[in-house]
Amino acid sequence: MMFSKAFARYLHLNSSCWASEKSLLASLRKKTGYTFTNCKKALEMHSNDLVKAESWLHQQAQALGWSKATKLEGRNTSQGLVAVAVNKTDAAIVEVNCETDFVARNKAFQEMAEAAAKACLKYAEKQPHLRGPLTKIGLDSDQLSHLPTTSGKLLSDELALMIGSLGENASLRRALCLKVDTNVHLSAYAHPSGTERDNVFLGKFGGLVAIRQKEPKDVDIQALGRNLCQHVVGMDPKKVGTSFDKPNANPDDETCLIHQEYINDNNATVQEVLEQHGIEVIDFKRFECGEDLCKGFSEQPLAAVETCQ
Amino acid sequence: MASLIFARSSLLPLVRTLKNTTTAELITLRNKSAIIQCLALQNNQNRFYATEKKVYQRVKPHCNVGTIGHVDHGKTTLTAAITKVLSDQKLAEAKKYADIDNAPEEKARGITINVAHIEYQTENRHYGHTDCPGHADYIKNMITGAAQMDGAILVVAATDGVMPQTREHLLLAKQIGVNHIVVFINKVDAADSEMVELVEMEIRELMTEMGFDGDNVPVICGSALCALDGKEPEIGSKPILKLLEEVDKHIPTPVRDLDKPFLLPVEHVYSIPGRGTVVTGRLERGVVKKGTDCEFVGYSKTFKSTISGIEMFHQILDEAQAGDQLGALVRGVKRDDVRRGMVMCKPGSVKSIDHIESQVYILSKEEGGRSKPITSYVQLQMFSRTWDCSCQVIVPDKEMIMPGEDSKLVLKMMRPMVLEQGQRFTLRDGSITLGTGVVTKVLRQLTESERIELTEGKKARDKRLAAAAESK
Repeated sequence: MMFSKAFARYLHLNSSCWASEKSLLASLRKKTGYTFTNCKKALEMHSNDLVKAESWLHQQAQALGWSKATKLEGRNTSQGLVAVAVNKTDAAIVEVNCETDFVARNKAFQEMAEAAAKACLKYAEKQPHLRGPLTKIGLDSDQLSHLPTTSGKLLSDELALMIGSLGENASLRRALCLKVDTNVHLSAYAHPSGTERDNVFLGKFGGLVAIRQKEPKDVDIQALGRNLCQHVVGMDPKKVGTSFDKPNANPDDETCLIHQEYINDNNATVQEVLEQHGIEVIDFKRFECGEDLCKGFSEQPLAAVETCQ
Repeated sequence: MASLIFARSSLLPLVRTLKNTTTAELITLRNKSAIIQCLALQNNQNRFYATEKKVYQRVKPHCNVGTIGHVDHGKTTLTAAITKVLSDQKLAEAKKYADIDNAPEEKARGITINVAHIEYQTENRHYGHTDCPGHADYIKNMITGAAQMDGAILVVAATDGVMPQTREHLLLAKQIGVNHIVVFINKVDAADSEMVELVEMEIRELMTEMGFDGDNVPVICGSALCALDGKEPEIGSKPILKLLEEVDKHIPTPVRDLDKPFLLPVEHVYSIPGRGTVVTGRLERGVVKKGTDCEFVGYSKTFKSTISGIEMFHQILDEAQAGDQLGALVRGVKRDDVRRGMVMCKPGSVKSIDHIESQVYILSKEEGGRSKPITSYVQLQMFSRTWDCSCQVIVPDKEMIMPGEDSKLVLKMMRPMVLEQGQRFTLRDGSITLGTGVVTKVLRQLTESERIELTEGKKARDKRLAAAAESK
């Protein structure tokens, strides 16, 4: 405030400089996209040297992002995106939150979600595959923020940068990494399926399904896996279910995957589809953006299934 | 009742916070709950129409506007400032920032649309003012038709300039059919004239890029905060009045229902011996006089007639206005020609349509919808005005729609019915209401073969689609 007043007086006295400075500020803003206040500060600190101001801005961006992030910390983030990525035997699913769904539609935010998914996938690839068909590694928001991205920065730094430019609070909420045996096929799906960037699926809902061919049959496992994954995202089953689980009396309330009506063909249950193709579902994971976690990120429906192997 | 629901729904978040708080914080928590209770009380006062309530005076044309913009750019402050400045002229009731920014409480209540509705008036018009936090809320607001926005005020802070997501804000305006925008550059007290000028340039550029008339958009610069505090009238209250003046000028008054061509959805048809056929229903819009020519449209039929008499509550009426529940005696029409679901309208003003594009909100399970997503080719019953008809649903840009989501839908109807842009409808499946929507575009009529394809089974369709894919 005081600053701007002082500046206004300065302008008044030296009206000849006015035109050049205006274009300086405009071009700096256009070039960097940082807020007007920061662009102005940069120019003033470097006596209107465009090159120096720009490099200063880039240097400061991280710090500014962090200060903005600290300022906005605590504001409710219930919107956002779920990003899912698969690479052969590794997969990752990440939830990144923001305040409004306008921001979730923005490219900068989508890039952030994509970077987070890739970072998790990289992390998953480095982890040892312990035992059995499937290893699961859950990551909370602290662990996530310390992961390095593909460009070498920390995810938390990237996040702060994004907060600085979008001016909204954002958070890395949770992630899950999967590692599987080579005979297990991993499928990913995100809904709405409109945005897919570089093999990372982005949406409000995301799912991962691990399936295995039991009997050799001629099956398009890619397509079937994807459809099953769509089913998981759409029908929200709570567990895979075994032959001990009795189907629910009301098919609409069924929470057991194998007893649910198949989403692509409501004349068949998932079990029938699986049997028809000689496939078994080993595990699945579904993330819904902003879903209430109180009812158990810890008590995973899959744990039971793993012990059944 | 409302307070009960509120109390119950606010319980959960409260319990959640309780878990996280230490005993030291308990006192503050109690204070918080006291605040919430106060708010609940206020909400109730707004909701229940007490007997001593002021009667709405319909002297000025009404217009719905809304604010859009980044969360921190001062949308709510501006709204509060508008009511403050107008209340000085006795044209509005001043609202405090906290009264408008009801998002936390709304969220706690689990309400479907997070929206704040404020009313105020200028010398010329009466306004309903809408403010929502998110894209989805504006869309739902449009679909349910709570207050269809006729124009919008885009708020941008001079200190930050256009944000990356401003693009998304303008896209939304396009999507919900808002074509008239007035820009308010806020926070000029924290910026200098040079920055303000550049921000204005940027906005005009962006608006032009997004398909608005960027060069002629009215841009007003001021400080909502100063106006709210009653400081520095040059950048405080004056720009607010200027803004309202521009809103008055730039955003056109919507056509009143009374001025539209008349339309009456037929509810019942009676044959009265010695007189003829009488159709009853509520006149949806326009004015009907005795002797007016009319047209019946619906169920793939269209035919003309003349209204030879109008009655309301067994009394003869010279002229019926929109909103009246009436019976109309029509000349030369047999009882069996007309049936419920048809409309009686000004000849040539509506058409039967069987193919539309719409924006639909699918109810979540908690709101009474179903838990399963909706996929393409599902057959649902569509209800609108007095008719219902089964139709096939095509989901154009996604593979499915989850409950609680809004989406574009293409509907193909089994038979042509009276439909027009902006008409609202409900989709049901059996006894469950699945969603509600609004017609956004009328598409070309279905061909005969396409209509036959509507009824085919999944196997036949898969075969046909596979064959079509192969021949390509």
